[in-house]
Amino acid sequence: MGTVDNVQDQSGDSMTTSSPPHRGWALALGVVGAGLLFAGCAKDAPQDTWQPAGENANKINDLQQPVFLIAGVVLVIVASVVGYCVWKFRDHGQAIPKQTHGKPALEIALTIVPALILIGIGIPTVSTLFDLAKTSDTQCVVNVTGQQWWWEYDYPVQDGCGGIDKPIVTSGQLVIPAGQKVLLRIASRDVIHSYWIPKLNGKRDAVPGRVQTLRLQADQPGIYAGQCTEFCGLSHAYMRMEAVALDTAGFASWVDNQLADYTAPEPDTSAGTGEALVITNCSRCHQVNGLLNKDGDPVIARPDKNVYSGAAPNLTNLMTRTTFAGASFDLLTDSCKSALWSTPAAQFTAKYLEGVTPECLDTVELREWLRNAPAKKPMYANPTELGKTDGKYRGMPNLSLTEDQIDDIIAYLTERK
Amino acid sequence: MFTTGSKLFIGATVLGLAGTLIYGVTQDNSKLGTIGLVSATLALLFVMGMNLWVRDSNVSATDTSSIATSPAAQPTPARSMWPLFAALAVALVPVGLVIGRGITWIAVIVILIATVEWMVLGWSERASGDVAYNASVRKRVMHPLELPILGALGLGVIIFSFSRIMLRLPSTAGAIAFGAVAAVVLLFGSLLATRRSVGHSLVAALCSIGAIGIVGAGVASAIAGEREIPSHELPSYAEGTCGADEGEADDHASRAVASKSNLTATVVLKDGALHAEVIGVIGDQQSVTLPRSGNSYVRFVNLDPEAHRLVVDLGAENVVVNGTDTKRPEQLCTQAVGKDGAQFIVVRPTRPSASSDTPFTFSVPGIDGSVTIVVP
Repeated sequence: MGTVDNVQDQSGDSMTTSSPPHRGWALALGVVGAGLLFAGCAKDAPQDTWQPAGENANKINDLQQPVFLIAGVVLVIVASVVGYCVWKFRDHGQAIPKQTHGKPALEIALTIVPALILIGIGIPTVSTLFDLAKTSDTQCVVNVTGQQWWWEYDYPVQDGCGGIDKPIVTSGQLVIPAGQKVLLRIASRDVIHSYWIPKLNGKRDAVPGRVQTLRLQADQPGIYAGQCTEFCGLSHAYMRMEAVALDTAGFASWVDNQLADYTAPEPDTSAGTGEALVITNCSRCHQVNGLLNKDGDPVIARPDKNVYSGAAPNLTNLMTRTTFAGASFDLLTDSCKSALWSTPAAQFTAKYLEGVTPECLDTVELREWLRNAPAKKPMYANPTELGKTDGKYRGMPNLSLTEDQIDDIIAYLTERK
Repeated sequence: MFTTGSKLFIGATVLGLAGTLIYGVTQDNSKLGTIGLVSATLALLFVMGMNLWVRDSNVSATDTSSIATSPAAQPTPARSMWPLFAALAVALVPVGLVIGRGITWIAVIVILIATVEWMVLGWSERASGDVAYNASVRKRVMHPLELPILGALGLGVIIFSFSRIMLRLPSTAGAIAFGAVAAVVLLFGSLLATRRSVGHSLVAALCSIGAIGIVGAGVASAIAGEREIPSHELPSYAEGTCGADEGEADDHASRAVASKSNLTATVVLKDGALHAEVIGVIGDQQSVTLPRSGNSYVRFVNLDPEAHRLVVDLGAENVVVNGTDTKRPEQLCTQAVGKDGAQFIVVRPTRPSASSDTPFTFSVPGIDGSVTIVVP
């Protein structure tokens, strides 16, 4: 509120005036606005488009820098002229000036100049678009499938990626060889999602029934964060992903590890009990490659019969990743995660290939998830409200596991690496 | 110290807060109710603050200037139609609950609109003793809301009406009508641009006549119903064994939207051999990876002189028939198509290919070789 002062007018009579009551609000808004503006100045933001880390992102950055500069100059000029006019010609009782209509020279200039600016921006923009859409020099192909609310990656059999002779399926973390031109073939199983690793390239929508391509290339080994950028339902905000770039030898090791034969846990151990629990509770939806039932037959998950999207994350090598549940939660403790993310590129591959060690496993997050998944990540998993989805869940339901069962399942999962 | 109205809202706020706390503590896992009560409490707190601030809008007995400026000294407010609308809508709510939920929703929306309009009207009528100024206050607050909403509604009605007309007219006449209306609009706009002396009322009248004409024609078209639109059947693919026998190919299959989208793969029969072309992967492929539980759109192109069909073999599913475990082959196939023809098929494998004793394949009866389907 403004303050009230007694002053004298020109006739000498006392009168009461108020200072503008909006000044305090304007100051508060200015402070809040400045705070929001400066909040964008984080030095090491993991999803900063201004810190490209690969060839494709560099191309975008090389385009956005001059465009941003030009747009900034235009903004300053326009805002200055408008501000000047507003101030200079504000209403203070003067007569309305003579009104004129049309000034051809000015109008032509104001048409040609923006057109030239747009042409100047358009040429490198189109050129960059074509560069980013190029697929003819692909060195590695990965299929990416989005569903509510996680990303699945499958590596088809190919000569690329250093050679893959059996398909690999993983989720949450996309592992790619650093320095190689990796082509993602992106699709969706349910609604439209959008794949975006800001430091590696722009975003690409995942549309049901369409295969869209997006090329990634990371210059250095490291982890690059991203998230779904198309609102896709209840847990859209939890639909995150990470691209992990490994050096060539490390990527080959990762492939070998992913395709290694299944190792059953020792019988009569907690992990052994956990294996049986996984078969009865988890494997209806989650595939663990090589897992055999008590009759010795392969356990084949049928998520198509239990989950609305028809898919659930493959758990075969869960502990080679560092996240779970759509990369929403960490398998690593905060200190181990921090250590991994800050590992220099030269040592990163070896560090990542260690996987989730027992001392680094964040059992709190995993335990909470197994105890009641829908309470941790909102999902349509109430068994009494599945009428619209043919009785199928959208997300992982509460399995009502006991604490001992959770211990056993964690013991089993800890060996999946 | 506190005015009467403030006491009421202070009490209501305290009650709301107490209710929120009690509900929140005693009702586990009921976030929705707690959120609702918190919202109600905050709303009451806001109203209480407002009331405290304006002190119930009471006039001080010693304030002589209020003799002319207080609300009580103002002229009687004009009549308002909003209470009538609100009352009608309230009456419609139970009617809608019996007849159909849509009516209830419309009634609730009308109640909300009437409430907001009535409140703002009442508020504006107390702004000053000047009726014209009060009306301008109301306009300044409500027009930014009313005009876009009414504009959007008006446009929606016209667009919907026009769509009914287009669906009613024969396809050729529809194109002509569309062009004619566009030409009339262009002509009308050009005339307006060149003749500045045209009065606003004339323009408004012409626009109104045009809008009424379109809406009227739209209503008539909606009542008359849509014209018969021939449908283009997608190619059929039956479950079961797909033999080499020929069927009638759907010449319009290529018109399907999905077949123009980014296909998962194109399977080509050329020179007696089958190969696949996959977006983003260079060269002819003998193996295609399809996602599990996702629709994959595949096009079959026959460059062979003979007519052929594509068969998709997805192994065999274990099913129980009459109490006996049976393996039922999962096969899909396109219609047979002649040289240079194309057919389109949707494949949705639900099991990994590793779960099958036999490989998943694309094949063509009578042609050696196949393209392997890998489902991770």
